Amino acid sequence: MLQYWTAILSEAAIFGILALGIDMIWGWAGDFDLSAYAYFALGVYMTMVLTIGKPTSPVEYILGYHLPYLLAVGIAVVIVVAFASIIGAIALRSLREVYFSITTLGAVWAIYYLVENYTPLFNGYNGVYGLFDPMGGGLSYAAYHYFFFAFCLLALFLVYLVVQRLSRSPFGRMVRAVRDDERAASVYGRNVFWAKYRTYLFGAGLAGFAGGLFAAYIGAFNPLDWKPTEIFVLYAAILVGGRGNPRGVILGSFIVYVGFVEMTRYIPSPASRPELGPALRQILIGLLIILMLKFRPSGIFPERLGTDGTEPKRSLRTLFRRRPSGEESSEGLATADATGGAQA
Amino acid sequence: MSIFWISIGMGLAVAAILALSAVAFTLEYAVSRVVNLAHGEVLTIGAYAAYVGETNFHLNLYMCAVVATIAGSLAGMGLNFFLIEQFRNQKALSTLIATLGASLILQNLLLIGFGGASVSYSFAQGNLLHVGPFLWTVLTIKVMISTLIVAAIIYVMIQRTRIGKALRAVSQNRDLARVSGIPARQVVMHTWALAGAVSGFAGFLYGETVGTITPSIGNGFLLLSITAAVGGGLGRPYATLGGALVLGLVMSIAGTYTSSAYQLVIAFGFLVVMLLIKPNGIFVRGKAQMVRA
Amino acid sequence: MTGRPLLEIRGIAKTFGGVVAVADCSMTIREGTVVGLIGPNGAGKSSVIDLVSGFERPDRGSVLFDGVELIGKRPDQISRLGLIRTFQTPREWRDMSVIDNVRVGRSDLKRESIWRSLVSAGNHRDLEKRETEEVRALMTHYRLDEVRNRRAVGLSGGQKRLLEFARIAAAKPRLTILDEPMGGVNPVLGERIGEAIRELKRAGSTVVVVEHNLPFIEKTCDEVVVMDLGTVIAQGPFGELRDNKRVVDAYLGNDDE
Repeated sequence: MLQYWTAILSEAAIFGILALGIDMIWGWAGDFDLSAYAYFALGVYMTMVLTIGKPTSPVEYILGYHLPYLLAVGIAVVIVVAFASIIGAIALRSLREVYFSITTLGAVWAIYYLVENYTPLFNGYNGVYGLFDPMGGGLSYAAYHYFFFAFCLLALFLVYLVVQRLSRSPFGRMVRAVRDDERAASVYGRNVFWAKYRTYLFGAGLAGFAGGLFAAYIGAFNPLDWKPTEIFVLYAAILVGGRGNPRGVILGSFIVYVGFVEMTRYIPSPASRPELGPALRQILIGLLIILMLKFRPSGIFPERLGTDGTEPKRSLRTLFRRRPSGEESSEGLATADATGGAQA
Repeated sequence: MSIFWISIGMGLAVAAILALSAVAFTLEYAVSRVVNLAHGEVLTIGAYAAYVGETNFHLNLYMCAVVATIAGSLAGMGLNFFLIEQFRNQKALSTLIATLGASLILQNLLLIGFGGASVSYSFAQGNLLHVGPFLWTVLTIKVMISTLIVAAIIYVMIQRTRIGKALRAVSQNRDLARVSGIPARQVVMHTWALAGAVSGFAGFLYGETVGTITPSIGNGFLLLSITAAVGGGLGRPYATLGGALVLGLVMSIAGTYTSSAYQLVIAFGFLVVMLLIKPNGIFVRGKAQMVRA
Repeated sequence: MTGRPLLEIRGIAKTFGGVVAVADCSMTIREGTVVGLIGPNGAGKSSVIDLVSGFERPDRGSVLFDGVELIGKRPDQISRLGLIRTFQTPREWRDMSVIDNVRVGRSDLKRESIWRSLVSAGNHRDLEKRETEEVRALMTHYRLDEVRNRRAVGLSGGQKRLLEFARIAAAKPRLTILDEPMGGVNPVLGERIGEAIRELKRAGSTVVVVEHNLPFIEKTCDEVVVMDLGTVIAQGPFGELRDNKRVVDAYLGNDDE
């Protein structure tokens, strides 16, 4: 029983790290990136092909070294960031809002089809496998289990510290300003592209890091594990918890992952129709996203306002209080130039 | 040399279905200023409606086409009523995400209803015919002719009727149109009904041409429709039509040199290049004005 | 009206899709002055601002800011040289707090690297404290202290205009270009804005104000530049312009359109 929970919580922690990265790109910088899962997947794949050694036919994949796990994760992150630097340079240069999202949507599907069909890369449809207990040493199975769980929690905590700090720093402030009004930001000397680009790379790096952890968690990885539609679960988590708020994002990740996993346990999936359970889950995710967007777009923990510290501390009660109009975020409001560029 | 013409011929057939889908997509954008990411699902609904008509009710080819069209129209209106209009006062990006949620819901409902395995129509393909340098089956020719008919209908509706004028007014400035006495909500609903009908029909054509359908065929359609519409000119039916034609040709020619799995990759590459050089679309005049800062 | 030239616009021109917005426009703005830029609608005033601040690129001509060529530079590069402009509608950063809006205006760009933001813990706190004090002083001065911790989107139109001035003041520019700061503003607020402009001048910024409100221009500006049909037709003290036939024609003639 305990092992079951530590497994779920480990996974939730890993996705918490991924969500923190995606929230930087979306919550802070306002770019709705649909290709973030590709960075996550790349992190998994790279970590694996750097640790499981040479492929034996008919399996094929690139690289294939036997590096220590942590080193492999580090290299994987570097490679993911390099990849993101190319995509980001193209997509962020002149595309915004809807056009940016469409481009990233196309990108992730293109990458997906490429990886699925071009087997020399990562063994195509069948994927790669063979990463077992990378930091195991001499631990027993159960002990390793708890060790890895603690490792994931520690990783999440460290990432949280860094991200939280960055969020409240001048950098974090500046990225939000760029998000809210690019022209005004450039009038005050901020390089809009550079701000979004740095945020993008940092977020992609976190996604790659989460991928590295996930590689150790799951041991095997194929295209079925990373259908691009999976990213909606993450966006649902961010929406629920509170976009632009690192604590909210972590909370949302745990709620959605643990909540949904638990819930689908109670929905029977008849043996003749194994796709029923997952399909129902996806439907619920879709509903969750729509309802959150419509009724509470700022989430449980809305993005923290940079005050001067003299505000009364927020208590649990204030969370559910209706906000006076001065505090209502402009979240839902349409603006004249919200559609991402000049239209006909 | 003949392979080239054959591939152009197939390109035209593919482009025909794509053109309908892309025009429907662009109409939805024109009237609601929304990129509808559940667009592919409307097509899929039409395709499955025709399938149900054929297998469960044993309707003939033409009745199935009608069923698909009606199903698509209802789906389009439903999307508009329950989703698009609800998000009318929100940022475009929020609506986009909401349509993504709708896409998820619809695709998985279809999955639950019909299973993930592919199902097929059983309409006859007909003989191959030589038409000039092109090589087509009778069915393909029917597909292309019906596309032309539908395109003509759309043209007449938009250019000549009062509804068409109202659509153009609402598309340019909804509030101004309302102030001028145009019932904007009705016009929007009618347009979604039309776009849905065209999409449903396109889904049926797809099922007919390819033979099998699954709940996830919408993904490919969505991407290609976006590429054609954005590449040609978003919100403008003729520009989008041109974009679909170009895309169909590009993909067909590329398809003779690489396998079909990469066609989507090539299509995406085309989209990115277009967005970077001419974000307003190939067939739209005017300097690119995506981002200033 | 002495003072060395701070902004020299020489012969810039811009055509937008067949329409000539600016046609051979030249003017000199001297340091330490408040200059009004007036003219009938369509004269090209806002286009000139866009051209000078880097949001549009002129077809020809040159713009020198303290000797540095501005043409070809991006807006953020130009503003880092010390030139700040406003837009016809207030552009606050809506989902951020009012105090954060001013903080970003004031902020030292060097502190905004990821590395710096994460690492320098020590003097970080002292810097933040000093920043908050300065910013709060500005807020109080512009009567925004009450709303300093609220989201900027909730402010009234007048408060948003004042926020813009607080933000500019925090940024300490060398040249401020205001695009119709009086748009839709009541007379009381108008007085306040006039005062804010004088404060900017006292703080060392040269100011260029585009406005239609001529009494306001008369009261606030040392000198006026008049544009019509994309070019400068007169430059000088306000009093002199009343007798300038071209100026009078431009205003009266265009009213019949």
